[in-house]
Amino acid sequence: MEWKDVIPVLAGGLVILVVALVVKPALLGEPIGSPGPVPTPVPPVYVPPPPSPTATPYPEDGPASIRTLRWTSIDGGVRTTEVRVPEALFLERRETPRIADRLAWGRYALADADRPVLEDLARRIAPPAANPEEQYFRLMDLVFFVQQIPYVPDNNTDSYIEGVLPRHARQVVGGVEYQKYPVEMLVDGKGDCEDAAILMGGLLDALGYDTVLLGYSDHMALGIRMEGFNPYYAKYTPKYFTYKGKHYYYVEGTAFTRKNLSTTSPVFQGSPFPIGNTQGSPIPSVKSETPQIIPLRSIPTPEDYQIHPVRLPAGGV
Amino acid sequence: MDLKIPSLPKVAIGWRKALTAVGVAALVVAVAFIGWTLFTVYTEERQVAAFGSHVAASEADLARVSGLVASHLGSRPDRLSVAGADASMREFAAIADHGRAVTAYHRGIIGADTVPEAYAGAQSAYIRALDHLNRAFSLWSSAATAYNANACTAAEENLARADQAWGEYALAVGDYDRELRAAEEGGEAPPV
Repeated sequence: MEWKDVIPVLAGGLVILVVALVVKPALLGEPIGSPGPVPTPVPPVYVPPPPSPTATPYPEDGPASIRTLRWTSIDGGVRTTEVRVPEALFLERRETPRIADRLAWGRYALADADRPVLEDLARRIAPPAANPEEQYFRLMDLVFFVQQIPYVPDNNTDSYIEGVLPRHARQVVGGVEYQKYPVEMLVDGKGDCEDAAILMGGLLDALGYDTVLLGYSDHMALGIRMEGFNPYYAKYTPKYFTYKGKHYYYVEGTAFTRKNLSTTSPVFQGSPFPIGNTQGSPIPSVKSETPQIIPLRSIPTPEDYQIHPVRLPAGGV
Repeated sequence: MDLKIPSLPKVAIGWRKALTAVGVAALVVAVAFIGWTLFTVYTEERQVAAFGSHVAASEADLARVSGLVASHLGSRPDRLSVAGADASMREFAAIADHGRAVTAYHRGIIGADTVPEAYAGAQSAYIRALDHLNRAFSLWSSAATAYNANACTAAEENLARADQAWGEYALAVGDYDRELRAAEEGGEAPPV
């Protein structure tokens, strides 16, 4: 074999290389030579949400509904106080659609615009106490106050100061559903069990207590968080429900039973439902059912959110 | 008719020339084989390096998302107002959307990688992990949307499904580690 035989082979190879690396890319508009890095899309960037606008408070000197509230306190005396609800707030509440999902009803109790009214009322009913015993009596005063608000079911137009059903009252199987915001309950001066539980939850939350709503098939009550609650006077075993490792004792929001002191006296003697007493309840579901626990603050939180770092392949950056 | 068949010249190749030709041919085959082998090894190394750098970029972005999540969930106060809770959920939704975008982005890049056959299992497991994470973030986002519509029950259900997807992500990460070890050590991935 001579060199002159090899040269045409090499020349042919060279031509093929030139065609593959130069001519074809030039014709197809591809980059000549070794391909550069493949263009990649721009990686996503985190964009935080815009801050929410601050709500404008209701003017203090605007028109308001002023209600005088009267109740029998834990010492048997009659107490009165006044509550002032801006009319604009009340009307806005009446125009707010109701929440169908019971798990979100804590939003009624904690409604931001109702909060100043509740904080003011809660402090007047249960001002800060010097010792735990006094504090407990004041808590009970607040419970008794709510329990004494007359019970009127949602489908009764007497429950509303307008004398008609609000437009957001929902027709449900067996009647009408209309959960009241706390200020609605205070202005109407009436409500049903869920309205009372919502109002009581809002008032106790304003005082710093941790509460939940207790939802039964035909009733609603409140649970108040306490540890080792077992008062000396109780002739019952206080009933509590455990939620996320905490004990919430049953508190009735309605059904304040009362009777006349005598047949001739118009004065009533109160007989409230104490904390934890479910056996004395006239409502069968309270005695037999385990309620749905509805936290006032129901913020969905994932159980698992741990990213597991992985080992990189050899040669990775 | 008389046919005239031209006489062919007699080919006379000596043993020396024949051996030289065979030797050159063998050399060409050997060079081609070695060249092809070197080229294949080089290509595979480049593919693994590219896959590795893409996984590294994905991990870096996921670590940033993880930091955002941990910082957000760790700083939630116990007693939020309704407005505070709503603002917190808006931030949760923004992080979920970001997590979804990050996982989709890296899934696209790593899914387009060409890897040696030995690394196909690791690549597939990593893509699966990103898919599960993407689903978990999507469910977080759905939970936030449901929360905004006052549908807390639906929000909780979405989060429960997200927790399940997160568990599947953790399993896929385990698969990836096993497959990667098998690819680097040779042989098949050990059973779970």
